[in-house]
Amino acid sequence: MDELRSRQLKQKLGLFWGNFGLPLIFILIVIVFSITSPNFATSYNLLSNFGFASYVGIAAIGMTFVIMTGNFDISIGSMLALVGVLGSSFIPKIGGVGGVLSTVAIASFLGFINGIFVTKLRIPAFITTLGMLYVFRSLAYIYTNNVPVYISDRFWLYFGNGKLFGVIPFPILLMVICYLVAYLILRKSPVGRYIIAVGTNAKAAALSGINVDNIKILVFTLLGLFVGIASIVNSANLGAANPGLMGQNYEFQVITAVVLGGTALSGGNGSLGGSLVAALIVTFLGNGMGLMQVNSYWQLVATGLVMIFAVSLNKLKFYLLGQGE
Amino acid sequence: MQKRYLKIMLVTLVCTALILTLSFLGCKKEEAAGGASMQVKTYKDPSEITIGFSLWTMQFTFFQNVEKGVKDACKDFGFKYVMIDQNSDATKMVQDINALVGQKVSGIVITPVDPGAIGPAVENARKNGIPVVCADIGKSGPVNALLISDNFKGGQLAAEFLAGKLNDTSKPLGLGNLLPQWTYARQRGEGFLAKAMELGYNVAANIIVQNPSAEGGYDTMQQILSAVPDVAGVFFCSGREAVGAAQAIQASGKNILSVGYNGDPEEFQAMKDGILNATVLQQPYYIGYRSVEILKEILLDGKFYENVEVPVDVKLVTPENMDEIAAEILEKTGNSAFPTE
Repeated sequence: MDELRSRQLKQKLGLFWGNFGLPLIFILIVIVFSITSPNFATSYNLLSNFGFASYVGIAAIGMTFVIMTGNFDISIGSMLALVGVLGSSFIPKIGGVGGVLSTVAIASFLGFINGIFVTKLRIPAFITTLGMLYVFRSLAYIYTNNVPVYISDRFWLYFGNGKLFGVIPFPILLMVICYLVAYLILRKSPVGRYIIAVGTNAKAAALSGINVDNIKILVFTLLGLFVGIASIVNSANLGAANPGLMGQNYEFQVITAVVLGGTALSGGNGSLGGSLVAALIVTFLGNGMGLMQVNSYWQLVATGLVMIFAVSLNKLKFYLLGQGE
Repeated sequence: MQKRYLKIMLVTLVCTALILTLSFLGCKKEEAAGGASMQVKTYKDPSEITIGFSLWTMQFTFFQNVEKGVKDACKDFGFKYVMIDQNSDATKMVQDINALVGQKVSGIVITPVDPGAIGPAVENARKNGIPVVCADIGKSGPVNALLISDNFKGGQLAAEFLAGKLNDTSKPLGLGNLLPQWTYARQRGEGFLAKAMELGYNVAANIIVQNPSAEGGYDTMQQILSAVPDVAGVFFCSGREAVGAAQAIQASGKNILSVGYNGDPEEFQAMKDGILNATVLQQPYYIGYRSVEILKEILLDGKFYENVEVPVDVKLVTPENMDEIAAEILEKTGNSAFPTE
């Protein structure tokens, strides 16, 4: 009887931790920095950070999908730079709206190409996207001759610097909408169920009549689309699209957010909310330590340690639920 | 079921487009109503002033000396001081500048990793009444002041030095140039080309160092040697590249004069080792110090600065005056001009 009760308690704790563990860590970080740094908990700083989190947060949606199918994409930093310089260079010819739409379209197409290589040519995602990392970055250099594209179009700049009702940074709204759409795809549409099925057991999914290749192509295309949106936000923040400096180490930041958010690299299991909160944790941690005047090298050490800590706490969920070793 | 969710998604997308359009139009109206000039808050008590400094990276001695200049000036003027390292990341730089605005610092000094990417962040700071001074590298859009080495003069000094040593206009020269994006630093090459032409020399090879590093300098020097085998003197527009080029010259066994730019510790060492013939010294400590001095003039004295470019003098360092200049640097900055063990 006692054993049953203890198991039930463990399961309840496991479920609680699974749902609220990461948000609790985020809240803890906010509380600690609010106490240690008087300028942290101002509405300006908090809103700015939510806005900046969209840089990683939006692409993390697409990466969550890709990782859920058991793949991953390390070309997204270079893709971010390439579509940024391409789209922004079109502005003088087709205007800001056209530039934005073409950026998203090109990024989706590049994601589609990645998907085709992985599925139809059977080249492992790591090799495909490693190759594309070089191809995309080099194309960005060739196209611009390594000269940044300066952006003055107000519509484009609004994506990074606009404020809704003069207060809320526009990237926050954009990120919320992206997550809502992604949530509907993943949890409320058959496509979402197919993604989970493909990631859990591709063979079984194929036997059930799911076109595994098409699902994989779709998730790579969706990742491209979200990278396109993130590229617009980022280049608008910077006021320029720089072929060499944009998106450096971006893939690692995004993959870190997704893994920290609880999506298993082995595929199948994934959490969009987790990826969002993880993106917030990474952004707020950097900002808080900066305000505390922590040496930048120690900031990297602290960020790495917090991530290991958060992931190990995630293991606690599986232990409590009796699903882990 | 599927149709229902498609409808929900469609409605969400339409709503997004609507909000985007409305809020964008609202923003345009706000801009049209707002003025372009900035309102700076002035102070009477220096202890109320906080200077925020956003620095490219602390990895290189040049930037360590800029930082020391900023820090010392803040100490001398009685200002509080906050520094954030960009870690060579343009996105982090923009976030850092925004964080400084959030902290309500009184003035900002920026040494940007990507001068093209500071526009919107600086605009935001200035909208909030915070004056911005760029300490070296460059800028995009309006700032209050930009302190920048007299790069054109530096290039001229390099050409004059080579011409003086060679004393034979029939000997061809080479130039290891910088990437096109470094608008201000590219003036080094322009100054060199203009002076060489004025003195009657032919710069037979003008090659961009694609990989800004010692290895990149080494590779570019080999390209110059292939293109112009009888090249007699070269100027490389940055320190590490110049040292790489000097090593390539040494490896080739040829007698070619080489001049660098910056006054990096590696260059001082290369001159001491007899493989580099000269370098053009910048004054990073002074750039940092003077940046804060300008902010002091704006914040305490109410002086007007808008898009002012302040050239900072450069000088030629050769093995003859190297020790004297190294002693000066040590006295001013506390850092050795030579690499530390």
